[in-house]
Amino acid sequence: MDLHFSDVLDKFPYLLGGAWISLQIAFLAFTGGMLLGLIGASLQTFGRPLARSCVNAYIGFFMNTPQLVQIYFIFFALPEVGILMSPYEAVLIGMTLNAGAYLAEIQRAGFSSVHITELEAAETMGFSRIQSIRYVIVPHIIKVLFPPLSNQFILMTLGTSMAAIFGLEELTGRAFNINSETFRSVEIFTITAGIYIAITFLATVALAMVGRYIFRAKMRLI
Amino acid sequence: MLNNLIQELPEFFTYYNILFLLQALLTTFLLSALGCIVGSVLGFALAVGRNATGKMSYLLRIPLATFTEIFRRVPFLVTLMLVFFVFQILDFKLSMFSVALVTVCLIGTAFISEIVRSGFESVHQNQWDAAFAMNFSYLQALRFVIIPQAWKVILPPIFSFFILFIKDTALASQIGVLELTYAGKVMNNKGFSATLVFGTILIMYFMLSYPLARFGQRLEKRLATTGNR
Repeated sequence: MDLHFSDVLDKFPYLLGGAWISLQIAFLAFTGGMLLGLIGASLQTFGRPLARSCVNAYIGFFMNTPQLVQIYFIFFALPEVGILMSPYEAVLIGMTLNAGAYLAEIQRAGFSSVHITELEAAETMGFSRIQSIRYVIVPHIIKVLFPPLSNQFILMTLGTSMAAIFGLEELTGRAFNINSETFRSVEIFTITAGIYIAITFLATVALAMVGRYIFRAKMRLI
Repeated sequence: MLNNLIQELPEFFTYYNILFLLQALLTTFLLSALGCIVGSVLGFALAVGRNATGKMSYLLRIPLATFTEIFRRVPFLVTLMLVFFVFQILDFKLSMFSVALVTVCLIGTAFISEIVRSGFESVHQNQWDAAFAMNFSYLQALRFVIIPQAWKVILPPIFSFFILFIKDTALASQIGVLELTYAGKVMNNKGFSATLVFGTILIMYFMLSYPLARFGQRLEKRLATTGNR
């Protein structure tokens, strides 16, 4: 067994470009998932029983089935009813729907962490409705929600690797491409793993710094 | 569309097809359960090592922490490929199931060691100090003081990790392990409608995962600690 990293090292910029695409996919899916999750969590907290059970069904279904099979369903089954999608769209929609379920669950927990006495205290201090949302609820919720949300973002960045299965050229997809050109499999996937470790590590530290110094969340830097 | 599906139903749900799918479901379950059991044992040992105190303990702590950090930060698919190709160039004759199992065990160990470590941390420092003041050794303190209090914190997240694994092992289909997702692909290639096949697969995953998830929630409620110091 001998390893030749030099053959692969000149592909490094190509892989880094893939990492950038991975982050983009994760970011887009996370943003969409946040919106879905916000709607879901609000419905669960304030909605009527029917809306609540609909949201529960959505969350239960997407949290208890694999993301990969969900994307398979979107990519292979929906064309049978005439909805054709490119792989990129299918992966993005699948990841967004999946993220929506997880993020709804996280945000709901955040909402329920606000205590009614906080609102009453704000009212006693003469805050208007908007003021109490702006100065009491939002800072509290962000502080509680930021650590689990950033954690979920890191997990989603790792989750983007399954886009390679649908032929997207993100980090893992590009690793597959180079692998079929050079057959230096172990070297390529070692470097790919290294890039994943590096980007998630940087993202963790950056998010922890934002959380600690801007939102005063309790987060460890490393 | 709907008519086609209904026409296909009796052809799809034949005895052998159902048997095939159930066997695949069993593989999925075994893969995640074995990964979780091995991961729990090794992850526990790792956490004990990472928590060690003493002069030379950093020799133990740093490599173990590095192992955990590495396998928590590499996607399942990439780890799977790496294990697959490493075994290939080492010329091991392993079945695809074993390759997937090794991957699952590696990742399980890393994640569960982190869970166990944070469980140990949930026990207040005073408890450690008290145990050491009573002249307990490190392992004795763990055995008699820390673990009896920490296991309630450790067990629910390990269980939810097990459920997470049931879903993550879907990626093992990429190297050709005959688990539920791969079975779905096989059925789809046989010409059954993708809606029917993948719909069935999704429902089967749901039927496996949902009761376990509910059980996990109940477990969490029953074991909820009072946070005694």
